[in-house]
Amino acid sequence: MLLASMQDIVFGYDREPVVNRLSMEIYSNEFMALSGPNGAAKTTSLKLLLGILKPWSGRVQINRNDKGKRPVIGYVPQQVASFNSGFPSTVFELVRSGCYMRLGLFKRFGDKQEALVRSSLEAVGMWELRDRKIGELSGGQKQRVCIARALAQEPDVLILDEPTTGMDLESRKGFYELMRHHVKQHGRTVVMVTHGLEEAEPYLDRMIRLEREEGGGWACLTTSSCSARFGPEE
Amino acid sequence: MGMFDYEFMQRAFWAGGMIAVIAPLLGIYLVLRRQILMADTLSHVSLAGVAIGAILGINPSVGGFVIAVAGALVIERLRQNFRGYGEVSIAVIMTGGLALALVLMSMDSGLNRSFSSYLFGSIVAVSTTQLWIIGTVFLLVLIYWAVMRRPLYNITFDEETAQIGGTHVRWLSQTFSVLTGMTVAAAMPIVGVLLVSALMALPAALALRFARGFTSALIMAVSIGLIGMFGGLTTSYYVNTPPGATVALLLLAFLLIGMGVQRIVYRIRRDKDPGYVVDVDSRRFWQRQSRSSQKSNVKTEVLNKN
Repeated sequence: MLLASMQDIVFGYDREPVVNRLSMEIYSNEFMALSGPNGAAKTTSLKLLLGILKPWSGRVQINRNDKGKRPVIGYVPQQVASFNSGFPSTVFELVRSGCYMRLGLFKRFGDKQEALVRSSLEAVGMWELRDRKIGELSGGQKQRVCIARALAQEPDVLILDEPTTGMDLESRKGFYELMRHHVKQHGRTVVMVTHGLEEAEPYLDRMIRLEREEGGGWACLTTSSCSARFGPEE
Repeated sequence: MGMFDYEFMQRAFWAGGMIAVIAPLLGIYLVLRRQILMADTLSHVSLAGVAIGAILGINPSVGGFVIAVAGALVIERLRQNFRGYGEVSIAVIMTGGLALALVLMSMDSGLNRSFSSYLFGSIVAVSTTQLWIIGTVFLLVLIYWAVMRRPLYNITFDEETAQIGGTHVRWLSQTFSVLTGMTVAAAMPIVGVLLVSALMALPAALALRFARGFTSALIMAVSIGLIGMFGGLTTSYYVNTPPGATVALLLLAFLLIGMGVQRIVYRIRRDKDPGYVVDVDSRRFWQRQSRSSQKSNVKTEVLNKN
């Protein structure tokens, strides 16, 4: 099912466009990677898709699901700005706040949510550190906590911007497996920006590579060759 | 206690108590959102409102109140336009507000004298009208906080992720600024324009140093605010000092003592337990934690690769 699409997007931060006529489609229940060299507007493309940035022209559409609801999107940014050492939350409090999106303003934080927070933290191996202040964690640990927070949202779509930066090889592989698990077992869609395409390839369903055009703009190439091992099930 | 025989002292304690709950509460969020200078700016702006009110012949407190709320909205608007260096908006509005207040003050010489009570605060200055304003703002802030504390937490942590998660960041940010403006205007008669922000920043600064979590930071900030306020008002009554400055100095003393104690405690702990190493085996990360003996009904799921 087509989950979201971008058509002929043009966008720039000042006068020059950095994204020129980008079109991209995201299908549900896929593990997709977006890659390209530095400055290829990968993060910008994600932000356009998410609606944080408004395109100069073109159309971004996020389809509603069968129940007519807008999909819940979990987003893990490249650097979480507020992650200064001063933020006074414990790891548990922060991941718990992921549940607020679905709970709304008043619904009680019950056993089900408690279990969800626990399993999210366990999935990233941070359950033991749940009582630590987030300011005391290392960069890689903060990244994990952010991923756990996104998982606790029970998102339909998980969007991650270079999530594996600063992780060792084993952690990266574990991460890809975790994402693949969420796609296959929980029916989620995962979109991530990455530089490590070679090692992620076996886990991916589809990858999109942003490349520089002759004229200086960026073109978008979709490759499906990587899905040989885990080909789409249809 | 003799001081409660005076009605103005009772009023000052009521007003001070309510402000000492809401100002530190908002202060925590303001500090974490890097907006604490907004409180300072708004107090300068509302000073212009006081002058405008006096010149137009309406109640100066009402003038200050209205202008503080308007100023809050303008600052919020500018902050979104100057992304990346949002403090600029604060500098612009603060100087604008103060300059306007000074010019307007010079036009009305009768105003000049009563201005010192607005600048430095006064325990005799709390009128019944002001007490009503403070009471209303107190209730509004508490209700707002009780309803919005979840999304507020989320936008305080990170605005972008909150927005993507479906929070109306803009609306929330604006309403929060408006309530900050209201609180500043309400606190002005007691603590004075120049020191309103002390009541927001200092308890938050101390609480953020010590608290183990977010909720405990909020509780600590409010408790510190209350102790500082009541202590300051009492001192101010007996020693005859301006209340705002007394409260601010008391809070500052708490902060310094707190930081000193924390240093000593850390040093003692470090000496006792020199080999404190964080026990995190990085290779265990990401592995499934299949402890089947868990009491909570967490389903341990098997990853199927292939």
